Amino acid sequence: MPESASKPGTPPPATLNSALGGRGAGGEPLAALRERARVAYDSLELPYWRRSGFWQTSFAELDLAALAPIAHEPDAAAAPAIIAGQRNAGVLVQRDASVVHVELDPELAARGVILCSLELAALEHRELFERYYLRRLTLDRHKLEAASAAYWSGGAFLYVPPGLEIAEPFQIVYEITAAGSAQYAHTLAIVDRSSQIRLREYDLASVEIAGAALHAGQFELYLEDGARCRLAHLTDWGEGAVSDVSTAVVEVGRDAYCHWLPALLGGRLIRHHDELVVAGAGGDMAFRGILFSQGQEHLDVFAVDLHETGPSGGDVHWRGAATGESRASFEGLIMINPGAQRSHTYLQFHSMMLSDAAKLDAIPSVLVSADDVSASHGGTVGELDELLIFYMQTRGLTRADAVRVIVEGFFEPLIVQLDDAPLEQQIRDRIGAKLAAAADDIERYALAR
Amino acid sequence: MATALEIRNLHVRTEDREILRGVDLVVRHGELHALMGPNGSGKSTLANTIMGHPAYEVTAGEILFDGENVVELEPHERAKLGLFLAFQYPVAIPGVSVANFLRMAINARREEPIKMKEFTERLTRAVELLDVDRSFTSRHLNDGFSGGEKKRAEVLQMAMLRPEIAVLDETDSGLDIDALRTVAEGVRKLHAEQGLGVLIITHYQRILDYVRPEFVHVMMDGRIVLEGGNEVVDRLEREGYDRIREEVAARA
Repeated sequence: MPESASKPGTPPPATLNSALGGRGAGGEPLAALRERARVAYDSLELPYWRRSGFWQTSFAELDLAALAPIAHEPDAAAAPAIIAGQRNAGVLVQRDASVVHVELDPELAARGVILCSLELAALEHRELFERYYLRRLTLDRHKLEAASAAYWSGGAFLYVPPGLEIAEPFQIVYEITAAGSAQYAHTLAIVDRSSQIRLREYDLASVEIAGAALHAGQFELYLEDGARCRLAHLTDWGEGAVSDVSTAVVEVGRDAYCHWLPALLGGRLIRHHDELVVAGAGGDMAFRGILFSQGQEHLDVFAVDLHETGPSGGDVHWRGAATGESRASFEGLIMINPGAQRSHTYLQFHSMMLSDAAKLDAIPSVLVSADDVSASHGGTVGELDELLIFYMQTRGLTRADAVRVIVEGFFEPLIVQLDDAPLEQQIRDRIGAKLAAAADDIERYALAR
Repeated sequence: MATALEIRNLHVRTEDREILRGVDLVVRHGELHALMGPNGSGKSTLANTIMGHPAYEVTAGEILFDGENVVELEPHERAKLGLFLAFQYPVAIPGVSVANFLRMAINARREEPIKMKEFTERLTRAVELLDVDRSFTSRHLNDGFSGGEKKRAEVLQMAMLRPEIAVLDETDSGLDIDALRTVAEGVRKLHAEQGLGVLIITHYQRILDYVRPEFVHVMMDGRIVLEGGNEVVDRLEREGYDRIREEVAARA
């Protein structure tokens, strides 16, 4: 069932947890879960989400009959340029429908770390797989979610046993390489008690995708008691016609911590549901996000900060910019469940408009069912400051450079918090490239005001 | 000395009214000028027009820099020729440190990026000149700065970018006496040691006690109405703007 937007008189959109009725979808054998998803897939329509009343995020135009999984042979040299030259704890690359490359630091493997395709994990690490798989994800809220749950192939599985502190990042890459590709992706990651890791997932097009392609992804990360993770998602499907409907959930256990930053930097049509659940007492999190839409792109994010128990901490801070004729929507929900006393959280969204034809909506809401808590939201809407541009020009910067400095400066407070120089530079470079592509549009907008 | 900045019969308007009504002013390389005048006389309009602020339309006249008319040039092109404006109200650039901004601005004017060593040496000298802590340069430019810090940052940029001619728009406003002395001393040294040509725009004579200008111009109602040497400053202090206004009216 498509969710409805939160507007007066209608109920707020379902969190994963409420959709699950508090019970995970998993715990059954994979074949049974796939079969349930297949049945749901057959009966469900393509999803849409109604936005501010003037527009909607709709996948109804998607021609599923024209899309199919594309298989690839293993490829030893598959690490894409974006992570080349870095020291990594482990790398897993899925190209379209196939995992083509896995590497794991042998020392970590010897200490019990597992990094492999999810297909393999379902066979070889069955006990772990069945304990966690779909514990916090649904498989039948809409047709594309059901498709992903029924038909995923390849996939990524990461297990970090208790008590390990790993400085180098784990990198998981999903690449789409051609039009017509249907990529049903699934990442399952578990960080066991008191371990500490960095994890990044990249969702990328390796070339400009001229025709339609689809990424329907599921991501689940479980942080057991005292575990810590710095997690980043970088989604950039480029200028091509890639549609992306994905759900990601992070569960933060007792005294665990997660810093999570999804960066949505490109895609024709994207709907992401990102949910951070503080499930254990003393759990804390920082939920950051960046979105930047240009041209005809359409980005739609539903970000949830859910507190199931207290005391717990949360800090949600997203920033978005839009240019061209793009549409972007950020819907942020703080939810504090009954009994989650002494939870403290704050949600803020800041936007910057770079075109009068673009739309960028922020829809914050707060649902609190406990009395000894603090939860609020705030935000700003900004435009390019002409005086600031003039100021920089008098120092010798061109107008385009001044705009780039302003927009980078706008995102910089979030980027520096990544504390990860190569990733920070990737995001800055991508923002710079998007600004360069939109330079004419931005100038036209500025002169028209 | 060679002419650097020459303003001829400059007429400027904004959307609703004409502000400058025929300004003539010459600042040669290495000269120190002051432009004084009451509020609303057009001083800041002149400063902004010299740098090419888009809100001000030049309806007649010329602004020449080393003989080239710059009226049609973009602000950054004027900066590259060697013009600089210290703002009355400097603007904050969130997310960009003073040092990073300076490096960007310096590199914008040159073919090859400045070497780290040279940049650091320049920065060290500028930081000493303006009597600021080195950590100042890692803060975001003007973001949360006090009034005094903003003005110091303006002169710091001037020291780093090494323009030919600098226009200082009410750089003295809102400064306590220590900050005023530091800023004035910085300007004086850049003038004396680097041959910087300066046009100090001010409402008060206070800053001129520290930076003794060689040439003083008084602006009223969009025109220069009185010119001379330092004695003009003393006269203004004694008599105020009203007396001069009466004289101008009597002449007309």
